[in-house]
Amino acid sequence: MSFLRRNLPSMLVMGIPLMWIALFMLLPYGIIVTYSFWLKKYPTFIPAFQFGNYVTIFTDPQYVRVFLRTLKISVLVSAASFLLAYPFAYYLVFRCRSVALRTWLYMAVIAPLWVSYLLRAYIWKTILGTEGVLNSFLMSLGIIDEPSSLFLYNQFAMVVTLTYIFIPFMVMPIYTALEKIPTNLTEASADLGMGPWRSFWTVTLPLSLPGVAAGFTLTFCLSFGDFIAPFLVGGPDGNLIANVIATQFGAALNWPLGSALAIVMLVVVLTIVSLSDRMERKGMTGGV
Amino acid sequence: MTIKKTMLGTLGLLSLTASPVLAEGTINVLTWEGYADPSFISKFEETSGCQVNATYVGSNDDFAPKLMAGGGVYDLITPSIDTTKLMIDLDFVEPLDTTKIEGWNDIYPKFLALDGIQKDGAYYGMPYVWGAIAFMYRDDAFETPPTSIADLWREDLKGKISLWDDKSAIYVAARKNGDMNIYSLTDEQIAAAQKSLVEQKPLIRKYWATAGELVDLYKAGEVVISNTWAGYQSSLLADEGIKVTEFIPTEGAEGWMDSWMIVKGSPNQECAYKFLNMQLSEQGQCGVANVNGYSVANAAAAKSCMSPEQFKTLHQDDPDYLDSLLIWQPLGDRFEAYTNAWNAVKAQ
Repeated sequence: MSFLRRNLPSMLVMGIPLMWIALFMLLPYGIIVTYSFWLKKYPTFIPAFQFGNYVTIFTDPQYVRVFLRTLKISVLVSAASFLLAYPFAYYLVFRCRSVALRTWLYMAVIAPLWVSYLLRAYIWKTILGTEGVLNSFLMSLGIIDEPSSLFLYNQFAMVVTLTYIFIPFMVMPIYTALEKIPTNLTEASADLGMGPWRSFWTVTLPLSLPGVAAGFTLTFCLSFGDFIAPFLVGGPDGNLIANVIATQFGAALNWPLGSALAIVMLVVVLTIVSLSDRMERKGMTGGV
Repeated sequence: MTIKKTMLGTLGLLSLTASPVLAEGTINVLTWEGYADPSFISKFEETSGCQVNATYVGSNDDFAPKLMAGGGVYDLITPSIDTTKLMIDLDFVEPLDTTKIEGWNDIYPKFLALDGIQKDGAYYGMPYVWGAIAFMYRDDAFETPPTSIADLWREDLKGKISLWDDKSAIYVAARKNGDMNIYSLTDEQIAAAQKSLVEQKPLIRKYWATAGELVDLYKAGEVVISNTWAGYQSSLLADEGIKVTEFIPTEGAEGWMDSWMIVKGSPNQECAYKFLNMQLSEQGQCGVANVNGYSVANAAAAKSCMSPEQFKTLHQDDPDYLDSLLIWQPLGDRFEAYTNAWNAVKAQ
């Protein structure tokens, strides 16, 4: 009893996270892995141990095609987020002199995270639509004569929407990384005769790479698993891997194939995460 | 004391989140929007003493996953005639005691003859409403009205066409190819339909997934021609002041019929049968016809509660119309071939 009482706190401290991992990670993943070996058989599916679902994924071109498309969209979203977020974070940390303005601008990026995801995706429909805000604007400027249907229901719209939705996850880590760089390093670089561009290339950018890597990982993984944007703003060629998985669990009633797809997707995401983790560590030990 | 308080709080939270509540005299229905509309359900709740909780589905594909996740939640469901057989084969539903359902014999014989709602001589589904998967176009976009499915493959309508994101796209493409046996297509015929759909893809603005989405697409001027759930989206668009016309193409249209089914082991038998009786009576039949604009299964009830115009508009007086529809059929083990082909089109 006294043993229990003495050790209870430490058991709780260790036990809760372990329970959490077992309950919310190992168990569900274990179930998905198990399903991925099962066999589709009308009306549902039956327990089995076979690799047919994985074979299907890699031999039927439709799955490879969707995987590649999802990869392309995710990379584009990460790149677009990076190109927009880096100058913005740089300005906030090094150029913005007013603390109040900096706080406001930072909040302006973060605040949309508190608005429902669905709403934020929906907004782009009204902006990009044939009778939407963008078309009316371009027509009022006389740039186009009649509304263009090129903005909505295609991969461009998906990249725009996902970039808008996930860009805070790029700004935050980059901002944090830049903020940690002591200003005396760039000053030292300037003292040694480096111009501002070379100081940026050789000092600031390398030191901020861990933040960039974290931002890429977050935006990439979030886009990789998205299935709302294709549904709302994507066109006929907008099916992503998460939509295919949803179809397998719903319409097709093929949970085994859906599970196998989910496992392949998990492997891709974990690979990206471990690569970026390695890169971050390298950045932290100054091995760049 | 504080622990007690916390526990009470947690319990309170649980009871808040653990809806729908399973109480006697309460039935939980998993159904389509409009089938448990307050306009006629409120009266039922008052007179019967049975509470109705409705959860809505967006597609026939929602029934099986929802019920597979564990029973004991829903008492009644309304899958369409291509999904009813699956519910029976999955052992999710129980046979109906048709003697407890007044008006059973007034149901169109054509529906009672359907294989999808029966097994081993017992009925598992009570026919409720029906309609066509018609086609629809925006009046102001056409000088000569379209008459054929081939109009959804017209180059000059590029970027203005929509099609239902459903395996029924295969039925549409097969008919365009001249294959009228749409529920028993061979692998070659399915492959041909798949090829046609891939050819059509560059012309498609968006595949529509929900009724509301199709309405939005027409409203925002994105599309001018599509297939539709006859009577439903067109009336929503009429309310918005957008003029559309439904048509049955020369290649024919599919027909659908939704049936009420009792989920196996439902503890609320008494209320369930009261509910079925209400739904098949004038109250339920005209109730749903007024809300959704669908045709109903009980011919006698329709005759007595509909105005002559409504009776005619909904084709209740016209058995030939019903006969002309290719009523959905369960695809059984061919189901996978169809969904796989449709998924391949979307992956293209």
